[in-house]
Amino acid sequence: MGRRFNLYLFLLMVPGVAFFAAFFLLPLARLALSSAEGPQGFKVYLLSLTHPRYFTTLLNTLLLSIAVTLATLVISGFSGVFLTRNQFLGKNFVLSMLTFPLAFPGVVVGFMIILLVGRQGLIGDVTRWLVGEKLVLAYSLTGLFLGYLYFSIPRVIITLMAAAEKIDPRLEEAARSLGASPFRVVKDVLIPALVPGLISSGAICFATSMGAFGTAFTLATDIDVLPIVIYTEFTLLANITTAAALSIVLGLITWIALSIARSISGTTVAAAG
Amino acid sequence: MKKKSKLFYIQLSLTLLVCAFLIVPVVLSVTAGLTANYIVGVRSGLTLQWFGKVWELYRDTIFRSIMIGLVCLGCTLMLGIPAAYAMVKKQNRFTRIFEELLVTPLAIPGLATALALIVSYGRFTDFRKSWLFILVGHVVFTLPFMVRSVIAVMNSANTTQYEEGAASLGAGFWHRFFHIVIPIAMPGILAGSLMVFTLSIGEFNLTWMLHTPTTKTLPVGLADSYASMRLEIGSAYTIAFFIMIIPLLIAMQWVAKPPRKKVIPEKTELSTDLRRTTEMEKNALERNPIPRDRGREPVSGTSLRLENCSKTFPDGTQALKPFSLSVKTGETVVILGPSGCGKTTMLRIIAGLETPDPPGRVFFGDEDVTELPIEKRNVGMVFQSYALFPNMNVAENIAYGLKVRGLGAAERERRVSEMLEMMKITELRNRRVDQLSGGQKQRVALARAIAVRPRLLLMDEPLTALDAKLRDVLRAEIDSLLRSLGITAIYVTHDQAEAMALGDRIVVMEIARVSQVGTPREIYFKPQNRFVADFIGTLNRVTGRVEGKGLIVPGGTIPLEGISHLQPKAGEEFEVFFRPEQAEVVGPGEGHFKATVAASFFMGDHTRLLLDWTDASYLTIEAKSNQVFRKGDLVEIRIDPASLLTLRT
Repeated sequence: MGRRFNLYLFLLMVPGVAFFAAFFLLPLARLALSSAEGPQGFKVYLLSLTHPRYFTTLLNTLLLSIAVTLATLVISGFSGVFLTRNQFLGKNFVLSMLTFPLAFPGVVVGFMIILLVGRQGLIGDVTRWLVGEKLVLAYSLTGLFLGYLYFSIPRVIITLMAAAEKIDPRLEEAARSLGASPFRVVKDVLIPALVPGLISSGAICFATSMGAFGTAFTLATDIDVLPIVIYTEFTLLANITTAAALSIVLGLITWIALSIARSISGTTVAAAG
Repeated sequence: MKKKSKLFYIQLSLTLLVCAFLIVPVVLSVTAGLTANYIVGVRSGLTLQWFGKVWELYRDTIFRSIMIGLVCLGCTLMLGIPAAYAMVKKQNRFTRIFEELLVTPLAIPGLATALALIVSYGRFTDFRKSWLFILVGHVVFTLPFMVRSVIAVMNSANTTQYEEGAASLGAGFWHRFFHIVIPIAMPGILAGSLMVFTLSIGEFNLTWMLHTPTTKTLPVGLADSYASMRLEIGSAYTIAFFIMIIPLLIAMQWVAKPPRKKVIPEKTELSTDLRRTTEMEKNALERNPIPRDRGREPVSGTSLRLENCSKTFPDGTQALKPFSLSVKTGETVVILGPSGCGKTTMLRIIAGLETPDPPGRVFFGDEDVTELPIEKRNVGMVFQSYALFPNMNVAENIAYGLKVRGLGAAERERRVSEMLEMMKITELRNRRVDQLSGGQKQRVALARAIAVRPRLLLMDEPLTALDAKLRDVLRAEIDSLLRSLGITAIYVTHDQAEAMALGDRIVVMEIARVSQVGTPREIYFKPQNRFVADFIGTLNRVTGRVEGKGLIVPGGTIPLEGISHLQPKAGEEFEVFFRPEQAEVVGPGEGHFKATVAASFFMGDHTRLLLDWTDASYLTIEAKSNQVFRKGDLVEIRIDPASLLTLRT
């Protein structure tokens, strides 16, 4: 297995590398350059970050994503561990229900939220019947929060269930045999064992929330989150340099978040959707 | 079952709440279409009407999405699988960087990727306006999923052993890639394919930026239908989308489940079964030993010569110091040594899986094969892990090397049957490899290696993975097989009993070097150094001072006439060695020295005695099994003077 073998391997790599360079690496470099093609040059980054509208947008998006991440982790952690450790009637049904929304694109998630808490939504009908007033959350920050939650929960539950399944149940039994209370077992055994899973799935959740466009596009008629702002800058205002600069900033944030998570938890993590 | 705690019910209700949050809107989307119809007064074909509307308005988006999804899948397969394989095989800086880069599309929001594509290629209007533009975006986005899925399977399935197996049977690079690597990676390819197709169908972030009014896809159409403010149409369209993805989701879960393996119980029935067959085989062999000319061409063995072969690994460790070796045609040579001594490296050099450091040379007969890769050497190899191809059944495994050599179907069939018969596994012909027991796998591996009529049969610890009883049976079988075929064979093992039983000659290896080469008798009775003597059997070491013709030891004097050629000087400290069976317990006054029993082990055919010797050592003696000893007994020991050994360290 000498030189010939290496040559063949090289030949196998070529198409993939060429395609990837031509349609991802070079365009991304081009995007970074074109952000500096405006009159301000590379100052566009400084300007767009200090500009009050963009700055609040960035802050909004960050806070929203962090909130969604924390909420998702808590909820999915509870349910995920519960589902791996307990058997009950209809568990498989519940599992398939929980994973059904996995393949929904963001727009569909947005529509689901409209059906739930929109103007003609279920919650609105219920509250009108109860209090006489329609509760409409869909087109606000709360709606976005719910949408991102809807999007993230199935993914995170799957990851955490896989992580929880790998924990040796004898660890918990050992802790209990040494006199640990259920609370201490959770704190000393379960959570430490879940940490890598929590970090990696949390990072995915954060990154997808930062970049989620479909849900925001369906719901966010008047909320500024970064993807929507980039979209409006580009298509409606034709402000290419700002759009490019903002999307580079957005890409950097998500990339850094995922890299940190990867270096801590040691697994490859990926955002999707 | 114990009573469920309060905690259980709290967690259960939370989980059900989450479930409701996720599913209620889905149900609502279904009912939205229905109620709207009902209110309007359409009572027949309630939702079908809106489905008709969706069909009318958006069917082109559905078709386009499916087309893009399929073409995208094709592209990721063609680009991703070769790249994944190359990255698994070749771990250097370049491939690692590429692997890193390849996951970045997962971390970069689709919006940014889409903008980058528009900024770079937007001015090619024909391209920009066609669905190919969206396709490119989808391929960039989904390629990492395919690559990662394939890499994961290739790593966990450890394709290297199967590739080496295929190479040993003569398969070249491309044959291995298409017939071994891809079939083995199939679960990963399948999972990746479903993932890619599903992602492509549902992709919105990139697509919304990349699409044009004439190239709308399904999610774009969905967004349009929601924006049209007609809840019924949006609902109907969403339901259509659900119906499309449900089979994909089910397929994904089905693929993710590990296949349940049917394991056949190994020890109980099998070993008796094997015992019977070997018994039969032995009888058969005695009655009519395998005739070499019964329609079978004689196996054309070759002699083997290694000249100054050494091996240094890229990290600088020397796995093998230079050595030379000749093996005659038809000879069986066993390479014996502790684990990590380099014996497998030696075998891999002979096989052609490793090349020796220059100027080392490997000759088969008079042919210099040093530069030939294994697939050109025409050797048969039995791997420790067997490396049976999991994607082929027993007969296909055995036929593989013949197929690579281009033999016709009829001839292949004939030889496979012959091999199955020879190995007594005819009934396993159509079994899947994972349904075989260890011993059966071993036979198939041997049959596969011999079927190609190799010039040289190489075996890398073929019996190590089996339990002791089975090992004995198969050892006898391999022995009779090697004798009857008259094949030149190299056999690697760490088990000295195996080496003694099988080898015409034994190469004993110490860490990275050859310690001694000789027949089993030479190795046992005339070990050249202490390593060999220690490694083969048990050896007692006795030190004392020389006086006259004897060695003064605690409790007596050992006569030294057997090693008089060394002429130890009087008064000198001297060291001799003997084996447990070369000493015996004798009556009072007949022995050379006395010692106290520290422990005795009844072994059935003999009793093994441990005698207190010095502070840090015991002597091991074999006594007759009808003698009974207790701890603390004083016994007299007599040593056969001719069997005493002196050894270099």
